[in-house]
Amino acid sequence: MARYIAKRIVYMIITFLVVITFTFLTMKLMPGTPFKNQNRISPEQLAQLKHYYGLDQPVPIQYLHYIGNALHGDLGGSFQFGMRPVTTILAEKAPVSFDLGFEAVIIGAIFGILLGVIAGLRRGTILDYGTMFISVLGISIPSFVLAVFMQYFFGVKWQLLPLAYWKGPEYHIMPVIALAVGVVANVARFMRTEMVEVVNQDYITTARAKGISSFNVIFKHSVRNALIPVITILGPLTAAIVTGSLVIENIFAIPGIGSQFVDSIVTNDYPMIMGTTELYSALLIIMIFIVDILYGVIDPRIRLAGGE
Amino acid sequence: MENILEVNDLHVSFKTHRGEVKAVRGVNLTLKKGEALAIVGESGSGKSVTTKAIMGLLPKPAGRVKSGEVLFNERDLTKLSDKQMQKLRGSEISMIFQDPMTSLNPTMTIGKQIMEGIRRHQNLSKADAKKRAIELLELVGIPNPEERVKQYPHQFSGGMRQRVVIAIALACNPKVLIADEPTTALDVTIQAQILDLMKDLQKKTNTSIVLITHDLGVVANMAQRVAVMYGGKVIETGTVDEIFYEPKHPYTWGLLSSMPRVDSKNSELLAIPGTPPDLSNPPKGCPFAARCPHAMKVCTEFMPDYSDVSDTHKTACWLQDERSPKVEPPETIQVGGDR
Ligand SMILES: Nc1ncnc2c1ncn2[C@@H]1O[C@H](COP(=O)(O)OP(=O)(O)OP(=O)(O)O)[C@@H](O)[C@H]1O
Ligand SMILES: [Mg+2]
Repeated sequence: MARYIAKRIVYMIITFLVVITFTFLTMKLMPGTPFKNQNRISPEQLAQLKHYYGLDQPVPIQYLHYIGNALHGDLGGSFQFGMRPVTTILAEKAPVSFDLGFEAVIIGAIFGILLGVIAGLRRGTILDYGTMFISVLGISIPSFVLAVFMQYFFGVKWQLLPLAYWKGPEYHIMPVIALAVGVVANVARFMRTEMVEVVNQDYITTARAKGISSFNVIFKHSVRNALIPVITILGPLTAAIVTGSLVIENIFAIPGIGSQFVDSIVTNDYPMIMGTTELYSALLIIMIFIVDILYGVIDPRIRLAGGE
Repeated sequence: MENILEVNDLHVSFKTHRGEVKAVRGVNLTLKKGEALAIVGESGSGKSVTTKAIMGLLPKPAGRVKSGEVLFNERDLTKLSDKQMQKLRGSEISMIFQDPMTSLNPTMTIGKQIMEGIRRHQNLSKADAKKRAIELLELVGIPNPEERVKQYPHQFSGGMRQRVVIAIALACNPKVLIADEPTTALDVTIQAQILDLMKDLQKKTNTSIVLITHDLGVVANMAQRVAVMYGGKVIETGTVDEIFYEPKHPYTWGLLSSMPRVDSKNSELLAIPGTPPDLSNPPKGCPFAARCPHAMKVCTEFMPDYSDVSDTHKTACWLQDERSPKVEPPETIQVGGDR
């Protein structure tokens, strides 16, 4: 097991380096410069500015320079924010986005699993069709439509919840729901399929033949096995939600990293783009790692195969 | 000897999108204390469905007992609630399934899977239940039981898994053990070991056994009585000797001729031509009539009643009627002299 984890960590680092390299290269291929008033400054001034920021050097040198600094924890300064360190900006804004994203994923996964279990156990009944109908709705309605809809009713019309900002628990309700609905829908559909599959397995009949209660047959035998494949989608789903929350952040004026990221790309704020990409890819890589470990905890066949 | 289990005129149907499948149509069985009853018959004849109905394990909501009774110690199991049935399952009546590769939960240790039933039915502490699980593994011949209880099914071979399945079934000393093709999925040497184990355990515990099998060798080895099923009905039943040496039903003749025989000069296998009846639209008369070489007009019109060949031997065939012509069983199975 320890060897397996060590091996995985090495792979994670390699993956991460590949991502950084590609981001760096594609960024250099993007048109334009980071300087807003590009059209009005003279070529000499531009050259001077480029020299000042080290952008006149060959790309490989810039790359090595960047990696060298990054190893010391220095991701450079943001061009948009008067060279404020990227790490400081990320440290300030990322927790908000992660909060929002993880809350949505956890709540979404719990409800998705519950609905999927119910639909799978009651296959072919109104309960099943109802759940799957809601789930299709959840997948097809974009989160921002739901967000605006909720804002109108709960924020404006009935004034039950705060319209925007991120100041306390009640501020979380609408944005988290807006993001979680998609998760619920995805997880529920997946879970239902797995449950339907699992309840027809021979070992469920064996469990029933032992005379144990239906509750135990469902939760100790069926759900646990049905969860194994469902867990695999949770990793990428979490990353997608955390990184994809920018629209919701904008709608609710949440001071997260998502809207920041868009601005960085538009303004060619190279250090900020790099920093945010690194954060996101680190998150995705770590999530996939955690899921694999979890997978091993739930499925003993994987655990042992990995140890060999 | 009194009957521990009695199935009377059992009808089981499945609702499918193509209509009602009448899988079991009036089955009668009796099982005496300490006896092993074999159920044989072609694939699809309703053997598994009958035993699942006895266990209350029909897939819900598609499968349903339509009528008839299952008497266990004089209690009609078809009338029990789910809760009452749960109490009985695994403690009074247990089941062993065909495929040991799929009949154990891959994510639960063997020990937990054995202990689950014990903890449910007997008032044992966790430690005592574990002790019992280890004992059971030892009983079914698994070496190193203290280590093995902590392992998962994928760490066991097929034969070892079937031993575990047997341990689970025997955990609470059931009075009746139903084994649905317990050795079909195993290779030949392991088959013999598992059968020996079952025989041995039956002797020790005096459990009554219902054994479904396609292997007439297994029948001869294990059972005292046989029920031959066809098209959702029991068409002949008797002691092993009666069925093997004095079979009366043309389907039984066909079944016996289709079995490979070591001692036979004529090594050709005789398959029964034709296909079994469509159970969503079962025939009015004898289900075997369409394939029976001796079928008469009456056979396709009316289902024959059971006639007694002896006290223990019954068959449902119009050839038993005194008005019918005398028909001799085919030569391939005429072994009456050399038993
Ligand atoms: N869940 C189900 N839904 C619909 N029909 C079913 C279902 N289970 C069994 N049947 C039907 O019931 C009939 C009897 O099946 P059963 O499994 O009892 O046969 P069997 O005698 O055990 O055969 P085998 O020797 O192949 O195990 C078959 O025609 C089958 O198609
Ligand atoms: Mg069967």
